[in-house]
Amino acid sequence: MIVENWDQLTFRVNREAYRSAEIFTRERGWVWTHTWLYLGHETEIPNPNDFKVRTLGGRPLIFCRDTAGEVHAFLNSCPHRGTVLCRESEGSTRLFQCFYHAWTFRNNGDLAAIPDADAYESSDAFKASMGLRGVPRLEIHEGYVFVAFDPDVPPLLEHLGDAADYMTMIEQQHVGGMTTLPGTQQYSVRGNWKLAVENAMDGYHFAPTHNTFVGYLRESGFAVTDDNQYAYNLGNGHGLLVLTGHGGRISMLWEPRFGEDERVRTEQHRAEMAQRLGEERAHYVADESHILFVFPNLLLFDIEGLSIRQLEPVAPDQTDVRAWQLVPRDEDSAARALRMKTVVSFVGPGGLATPDDIEAYEAVQRGIQATAGTAVPELDYSDMSRGMADEVKGVQGRSTDEGAMRGFWRHWIDAVGLEDGLQVHGERPASFLEGRDVR
Amino acid sequence: MTATTNTHSVRCQGRTITRPEVEDFLYSEADILDHWDYDGWLALFEPGARYEIPTTDYRPGWSPHETGSFVDDDWDLLRARIKRLKSRKAHAENPHSRTHRLVSNVRLSEHTEDSFRVAASFVVHRARDGHFDAYVGWYEHVLVPTEDGLRFRLRRSVLGHESLAAGARLSFIL
Repeated sequence: MIVENWDQLTFRVNREAYRSAEIFTRERGWVWTHTWLYLGHETEIPNPNDFKVRTLGGRPLIFCRDTAGEVHAFLNSCPHRGTVLCRESEGSTRLFQCFYHAWTFRNNGDLAAIPDADAYESSDAFKASMGLRGVPRLEIHEGYVFVAFDPDVPPLLEHLGDAADYMTMIEQQHVGGMTTLPGTQQYSVRGNWKLAVENAMDGYHFAPTHNTFVGYLRESGFAVTDDNQYAYNLGNGHGLLVLTGHGGRISMLWEPRFGEDERVRTEQHRAEMAQRLGEERAHYVADESHILFVFPNLLLFDIEGLSIRQLEPVAPDQTDVRAWQLVPRDEDSAARALRMKTVVSFVGPGGLATPDDIEAYEAVQRGIQATAGTAVPELDYSDMSRGMADEVKGVQGRSTDEGAMRGFWRHWIDAVGLEDGLQVHGERPASFLEGRDVR
Repeated sequence: MTATTNTHSVRCQGRTITRPEVEDFLYSEADILDHWDYDGWLALFEPGARYEIPTTDYRPGWSPHETGSFVDDDWDLLRARIKRLKSRKAHAENPHSRTHRLVSNVRLSEHTEDSFRVAASFVVHRARDGHFDAYVGWYEHVLVPTEDGLRFRLRRSVLGHESLAAGARLSFIL
């Protein structure tokens, strides 16, 4: 499936990985059943009794806060016969009632009532066995709620590894912390979910694919470059792009298109950050843009503004996407308006850039049919070798290299449990680059 | 939607504007967009105007300045969007989508001294890449009468969908 060759400095991924129904089923059964998955942000359900419904790895879930304030994730399915229990997309309720036979549950999962419960032998014991089915594991890091359908996954922080600190950096951006906003971008793409991951970890496509957006930035007085931009393989399939060459950052890194008022706000905020976090930490938090991928379904675009993007594979060639804007809780209203305008001008299916990304990976999905079942099987591979020569020399991978993708694919092949899925020829270099620690 | 007693006409800037006049304006706008005449389309806006598409979970009253949205263009961004769409490097629309728009259920309501609101329904059919999508929703526009005819101050398209279907990204003007 994957051929990594250090003699020839090539890294190739068989295109069946994007096409095959069998691989897709394997991913559902392995990756999406035995790995921590991003469910949602705590601030989406800020108050007791708030709930949202959401499908994860194809499983309908209720994401809710109970009356006592505790966060839960329940299978959205009546324990009686399996009916979807909650058919609203969001709201506030203490009780979930199944419309089919009127079984009723509290929002902490306890069974509240079964009509005519006396018909069941030893009714109390039966009732006690019929609570809502919660997910086996739920842990929260900096407000990001993760769940696992396998009770034996390692602790969340162990899974997140170096990715955890980049999530902390986001929370540290503003003294009052961050919150999600209503107005969720929900859309679907005719492409495999892994193409969305590759696209996010790929600085190489930026200039050609986003030519029109780069032109807009240049006209607004910003010099766009690929210099000092790096790609990191953070391990466990996580990846990071560190970008300093394009796009300002609302309240952190000013550029002319943001206007003079924002310049003043940015200076004040930078001074506050330096005092609160120290100069060095404030530099990492404010002066670099980060695109963080947390295996397998979370992307954090910490760029002009902050977008959380969640991937939900529907079929080998279809992926549902949900995206939220994450903002400082106590933000000046003019800064907030500038942030929202700026963020959605870039990200999302109606922006000036994301539609071209989607076009690109939908085009890959169509194009990889060209070599399916070919009489020359070695043609049926996608190439991700860019930057391997630098890895041998111990030079830090640039954002325009494909090192973060290689890290993703090495972890993916382990996660889907394909025997002999990865062939390594030659020796991985001693200076093989993984991780980045700025703590 | 605001209920009005009379949606046949409104008084604005000392003039009476009738529904057929507004319908003609919206029909010709649809025609301009379906013929990919984006300079002609931009000429239908007053300087400083806005173009908005809220997300599919939109609730009436939400402000694009305080919520996520699909499109939140001020005048600068709107012009950047048009410039981009006219470029052959707007890859998501090269080749162009074919669209066909139907506008109906047009209702007028008075808003301020110099502008008025228009509500209308739309269906936009779009063909691209061997697929055919339909976008359904309503408009919540603010129009101003000028010497040269009606102009948009705010052009807002609100989708009736629960989410955007596969392939149905908003790379064109909705």
